[in-house]
Amino acid sequence: MSEALARTRNFCIIAHIDHGKSTLADRLLEHTGTLTGKDMQEQVLDSMDLERERGITIKSHPIRMEHTPPGDALHTLNLIDTPGHVDFHYEVSRSLAACEGALLVVDAVQGVQAQTINNLYLAVEHDLTIIPVINKIDLPAARPDFIAEQFMDLLGCDPDEIVLVSAKTGAGVDDLLGAIVERIPSPEGDAAAAPQGLIFDSVFDPYVGAVAYVRLFDGTIKKGQKIRLFGNEKIFEVSELGWFRMKRVPRPQLTAGEVGYIATGAKDVRHVRVGDTVTLAEQPCDGPLPGYTEAKPMVFSGMYPTDNDQYDDLLDALEKLQMNDASLTWEKETSAALGFGFRCGFLGLLHMEIVQERLEREYSLNLIATMPNVEYEVVMRDGEAFLCENPALLPDVREIAEIREPIVRASIIAPKEYVGAIIQISLDRRGVQTKMEYLDTERVNIEFDLPLNELVVDYYDKLKSVTKGYASLDYEYLCHRPDDLVRLDILINGDMVDALTCIVHRNNAYSWGLKLCQKLKELIPRQMFAVAIQAAVGTRVLARTSVKAFRKNVTAKCYGGDISRKRKLLEKQKEGKKRMKQVGSVEIPQEAFLAVLKVER
Amino acid sequence: MTTGQDRSCRGGGLYVHVPFCASICSYCHFARTADHDRAARTAYVDGVLAELALRRESCGLLRDGGRRLGTAYLGGGTPSLLEPVLMERLVAGTVHTLDPAPDCEFTAEANPESLTADLAACWRDLGVNRISLGVQSLAPPVLKVLGRRCGPDTARRALALAGSVFPRVSADWILAPGIAVAALRDELTEAVDLGVEHISFYILEVHEGTPLAADLAAGKLRLPPDERTASLYLEAAAHLERLGLRQYEVSNFARPGTESRHNQGYWRGVPWLALGPAAHGCWGRRRYANLANPVAWRARLDADELPEAEVDLRDTAARRLERVVLALRTGDGVSLAWLPAGALDLAAGHREGLWETRAGRLVLTPRGFLRIDTVEEHLARSLA
Repeated sequence: MSEALARTRNFCIIAHIDHGKSTLADRLLEHTGTLTGKDMQEQVLDSMDLERERGITIKSHPIRMEHTPPGDALHTLNLIDTPGHVDFHYEVSRSLAACEGALLVVDAVQGVQAQTINNLYLAVEHDLTIIPVINKIDLPAARPDFIAEQFMDLLGCDPDEIVLVSAKTGAGVDDLLGAIVERIPSPEGDAAAAPQGLIFDSVFDPYVGAVAYVRLFDGTIKKGQKIRLFGNEKIFEVSELGWFRMKRVPRPQLTAGEVGYIATGAKDVRHVRVGDTVTLAEQPCDGPLPGYTEAKPMVFSGMYPTDNDQYDDLLDALEKLQMNDASLTWEKETSAALGFGFRCGFLGLLHMEIVQERLEREYSLNLIATMPNVEYEVVMRDGEAFLCENPALLPDVREIAEIREPIVRASIIAPKEYVGAIIQISLDRRGVQTKMEYLDTERVNIEFDLPLNELVVDYYDKLKSVTKGYASLDYEYLCHRPDDLVRLDILINGDMVDALTCIVHRNNAYSWGLKLCQKLKELIPRQMFAVAIQAAVGTRVLARTSVKAFRKNVTAKCYGGDISRKRKLLEKQKEGKKRMKQVGSVEIPQEAFLAVLKVER
Repeated sequence: MTTGQDRSCRGGGLYVHVPFCASICSYCHFARTADHDRAARTAYVDGVLAELALRRESCGLLRDGGRRLGTAYLGGGTPSLLEPVLMERLVAGTVHTLDPAPDCEFTAEANPESLTADLAACWRDLGVNRISLGVQSLAPPVLKVLGRRCGPDTARRALALAGSVFPRVSADWILAPGIAVAALRDELTEAVDLGVEHISFYILEVHEGTPLAADLAAGKLRLPPDERTASLYLEAAAHLERLGLRQYEVSNFARPGTESRHNQGYWRGVPWLALGPAAHGCWGRRRYANLANPVAWRARLDADELPEAEVDLRDTAARRLERVVLALRTGDGVSLAWLPAGALDLAAGHREGLWETRAGRLVLTPRGFLRIDTVEEHLARSLA
């Protein structure tokens, strides 16, 4: 093994949201001198505004640091900062696969959370060396001894293996750097072998095309060589490669054990998929690394411009976003109610929110998003089977033999006093409890098999509210399972509004219909005419209500001096109404299309 | 063949704003001041004459000579607060110099309490042939809410006097809290019996910054629910119709043939010249608003500059929008040809009794007039 390889450590940080992952990364950069004071800002690795604002990491941000432990030689530390959210489960698993070690960071007040545990299991699966870290020890409410016990239960570790830090004050960070060098094994690999590298993320750069973030396990790749990707058998010439500092730093080559980037020149980031294996075209390795799958969208939603003139802009924006987000999918879709738009697929609800927010914020689009739904497997009586991700496209139930819906395994960690409430809301949403265990004397881990659709609708919000925010949730796709599902249509003034159609369990159809009608009644403002709202399954109307027409306006006088004012008011109102969609003669506000999310059960 | 309306269209209008009031009513948000003396009033009249002289230089309406004055309107404020000698100077220097047509409609507004027999005679001699009286109500509790100075008997006396002096009498009415449907019907009947053939009937509006708004905010006054106001408005409209006063605009009712030609000009796009503080004039693409403050207005004139606070050069789309929404306000309605296809669900409007279509025009019903803002909004949005 080369000297350099022996002094390299590749690691990532696993933490629940808000447990201080990004701040800890900031401190590591500072203590290793990677970053000087003047470059310092909070969450330095989170480059998107959205990431900073919401305190989350969306893209991974690897960085190469140098550290010389007292009395030792210079070491290279590659930190792979990963997205923390459950939506990005697959990305996290690839980042873990690129490392030999992981810092398991837990908040000194809140303790172990659902995401911590699931990511820990993932890290253990990948054989990573785990360094348990208790963060925020500076907080007055910190209870490091209690959390240490959780760690010992969870990891079977000794108390003295646990590193106490405060990412805020910097206390303990040097100890942590020491632990990284001492405990995490150096990478193994043969620089002369056929190259084999894992793509753990990819981004699109307008100047050099798709850039692969790579952990090279074996071999050497040099600038100008032709690389081959196993997933799509494509060959690209390496126009540039190098290390990650605060920016990308070009190098002549990458060798086994290193973490770096390879600019491929590919026009689309989808050609350079996360999880794929890179090798050399002329000196290929035997086969791909294990674990490659294409991240599949789990949650779908129709996105329509409120103003039809913005259709082309929306198309353009989706294309641009997709260049950098291979997991975002979309296809053109037409809605009778909303006109031309797109059916978009997302990894999860957070991913969906992020994309919507970026479209509106970075591309100045006014959007109507239909309520999120999932992908059903539909089997027709004639045996034909297909996937349906738009409820309005579900055929007549009489022709359907079976509908299978995606089921997830949801795990929840919460203080024990909330167990009853958690079970109740889960049963209400057709959950089946599969496991319950005490993590310590206070906290319980409960698992349910839950239809993803129920989870998407309001489960997380409800969970937060019944547990006063103390519960954490993680989930993972399990299977598709048949159930007695029906299509619930909403009719406005007698016409079906396809964008409001949803798929529900037959037993819940009546109460859903009723509540949905009531909610729509609240959300649709009074207008020129009365608005009749009905919920129906097939031709059977289950519930009806109506929004009364306006009784009166102001009918202000209008003489010479009032005309300009009046006209300007009308012109202004016209602008203000952009978030309303005209469906037939009825104006429906954006919120109404998400009414399902607001229904109380 | 020409009708009276066609003649007025070829003429122009004149509006002169008189900004003085004896006291300020609780609901009023117009440009007016209760702080004035003879000197201020004299300076005001001089100012109006100076403004006309200045506008003669720039205004095509005045220059081309092809238009006679079809209508004149002295509004306020309270024109009846001007002493006869000042009124005489004002009218002589404006209306009389603008070549009034033989059938020129000349309206002046007056408050019941300031309309004396002498004043009425003076106005009639100056050519005023139509008087608009700010009665608002004959019910004492309503007059109190509105902060009106005069009682119902003063109003009755003024209506009788006006009817005996002027060929045409209009009264302003306000639908305000505190009136019952029977009392409303009775007071409208009484007004018509006293010779009123034109009524401008308004639903009380609360404007920010008025004493009324403060009373509402302090809980001293409550507005009735919309349902009640709506039913009173419809009841009043039906009653006036029974009395022979046809609804020819959202808030105007008249015996056929006695409609305000001046106001109809606003809704039909007839050009008019406006003089005085806060007055708005319009011809061609250009609409202007004068400075509202009488002192600022006067100062600008003293510098030989047009006293305009704002000029609105209306583009084609703006003029089209105005044309449509203004026509919609009238009893003649708006030509269907002016409406973009699919702008309104015509059948639904018929069904709900909001409008009728006749002779290729969409005409709002009283129920439709109540929702006119919403209808206008729809139209505005469909007119690109």
